[in-house]
Amino acid sequence: MTGLLQIVFDALSLGSLYALGALGIALIFGVMRLVNFAHGDFIAFCVFAMLWPSTNAAAIVFAGNLPSWLLVPLLLLVGAGLSVLSEIIVFRRFRNANPATMMIASFALGFAMRNFLLMLYSSRPKSITLWPTLGLPVEILGARIPMLQVVTIVITLVVLAALTLFLKRTRYGLEMRAAAENFTMARMLGVRANGVILFAFAISGMLAAAIGLILATNSGTADINMGANVMLIAFIATVIGGLGSVPGAVAAGFLIGAASVIFQATLPNEARVFRDSFVYGAVIIVLLVRPQGLFAPKSAKQRV
Amino acid sequence: MRVMKLAGGLAALVALWGTPSQAADDIVVGFATAASGFMQAYDKPAQDAAMIRIDEINKAGGLLGKKIKVVTADTKTDQAEGAKAGLAVLDQGADLVVVSCDYDFGAPAALQAQAAGKVSFFLCAESVKAGIQGVGPYSFSASVLAAVQGASMSEWAYNKKGARTFYRLLDSWTVYNKGICDGFDWQLPNLKEAKLVGSDTFKNDDASIASQITRIKSLPKEPDAIMLCTMMPGAVSAVKQIRAAGIKSMILNGSSMDGSYWLNAIPDLSNFYVPVQGSIYGDDPNPKVNEFNKKYKEATGADPSSQYVYPGYVMIDVWAKAVERAKTTDAEKVVAELEKMNSEPTLFGPRTFTKELHHQNQGRYLIIGTDNGKPKVVDEWTISSKIPVDYLVSK
Repeated sequence: MTGLLQIVFDALSLGSLYALGALGIALIFGVMRLVNFAHGDFIAFCVFAMLWPSTNAAAIVFAGNLPSWLLVPLLLLVGAGLSVLSEIIVFRRFRNANPATMMIASFALGFAMRNFLLMLYSSRPKSITLWPTLGLPVEILGARIPMLQVVTIVITLVVLAALTLFLKRTRYGLEMRAAAENFTMARMLGVRANGVILFAFAISGMLAAAIGLILATNSGTADINMGANVMLIAFIATVIGGLGSVPGAVAAGFLIGAASVIFQATLPNEARVFRDSFVYGAVIIVLLVRPQGLFAPKSAKQRV
Repeated sequence: MRVMKLAGGLAALVALWGTPSQAADDIVVGFATAASGFMQAYDKPAQDAAMIRIDEINKAGGLLGKKIKVVTADTKTDQAEGAKAGLAVLDQGADLVVVSCDYDFGAPAALQAQAAGKVSFFLCAESVKAGIQGVGPYSFSASVLAAVQGASMSEWAYNKKGARTFYRLLDSWTVYNKGICDGFDWQLPNLKEAKLVGSDTFKNDDASIASQITRIKSLPKEPDAIMLCTMMPGAVSAVKQIRAAGIKSMILNGSSMDGSYWLNAIPDLSNFYVPVQGSIYGDDPNPKVNEFNKKYKEATGADPSSQYVYPGYVMIDVWAKAVERAKTTDAEKVVAELEKMNSEPTLFGPRTFTKELHHQNQGRYLIIGTDNGKPKVVDEWTISSKIPVDYLVSK
């Protein structure tokens, strides 16, 4: 029983991380039909923003030393700022391009950012300690769970609740949902396109910063490729969740996290090396059965 | 006829252009290594150490009475560029081609050297393929096989720390990681009372290894030692999560986790051990190593960040000795001299090369123990028997 509970918590916390990532990608896809492959690099950038640029082996922690009430908002601001900037400088110019072109542009942006970090910080992973107390385990119903897992799950649930309220109850939320449903029509009806898109980018950037903080706390490491894995799985989650469906992406993020943990826990040792093959195998089966994704929104159908 | 003349002229020109340095009567060492891209951080330190040895030799009158000249070409951390870089240094007359630290990134240049009939050395590759098996009979590696690290740590922990129950945790990302665990697998049956109580895998970039930790925690008794086969950057994350979960078992890893630069991620880390060829912490039992560390700092402005600077020094050292003995830089004769080396002493442990293996399947390791976040030399260990080449190749 305790063992099962432990697995549930492992699955929930990993799923939360993927869900946050998927949310960041789905939001932008919703308003712009852009799959932002630079999202993983936004995550890495936010983590490196806590360090002073240097190519020395030992990291010089800079902003990372700030008290948490200052550090968290600062990093969210960095994430949002970076994301908004990338919209203004890069993606705005591709507004009317086809989605494949925009995707390539996001690859290019990610590549440029990764190499910018490489130049400033070198390829060696850097170490950083954030909130060591979050590593301590707490006991819940007999299962010993690191505090960070609990915090990750709580943060995800709070973010999801806040975002749902925002999307359903505020004017901006309404505009964003309208834009996601049919962008051209929304514009004709008076939705401010730039405002909505910038807002989506800002939220997405903040989500990237949040993931960065969680990853850095968990691993104690800043690495230029650290966002790549989460980004890839988050992208897959948005696809099997049904491209364009924000709740679908979140649900699929949780599903993939759960699948990964369950395969890790149940596969025999020899097969565990191929855990990801099993996870992606499951993804392929889902797509064969439901090519449009699990929760495809009506708006995903080809627009005339 | 005119075409023939032209071609002949061109060929002569190419020949002249291709061998300018030999005319200058120098011995040329060519570095086809990464000066940019992510491998740069790993190649540069070992290359700096190699330069120190080259300077020492030049100051002492050179090699065979000639100065050693260095030429370089950037592989840009790219395999296709690696082959080009290999050709570039060969074109400049390299007698020895030094290639990238990692097997996959170094092999393209090493293959070029092999094709041109020149000796090549991997700066610090620790796969059995880095040598005869993967490149050819003129290829060597300056480091010690990853398998020796796993075998050394388990045998040392069994004999000196009384470890009886072992848990094997493999990061399936690289061949290096697998190599450590292969050495551990080979050694374990030789340790009479040792028992493997569990085994698991993870991936270096896993966002969390919570489920792997759950498996360790569900064992009836905490294992005496965890053989962790991993490397940066995931290694720090794995160790941090294991300790955060309250698992106090001794953690053994390969040399890839040497260095204090990452310790601030886990400030109070204890009961953590890695094997190294020499100590960067100023407490090496050999005072000459500590002298080298000082020289390194003078040359580069920083202390060595990990033991991976040392193989660069060893490489030039053993190659130069072989050249002295062969009295020529001719590859075949130098290789023959290198293959005669049996426990040849170097600053960083003995080196043996044979006709079957241009790598170390046994080696003296210092054991670095970290206690309360402070790493220091705690012991020294050489595995009791060589890991058979057949076993290494079969893996």
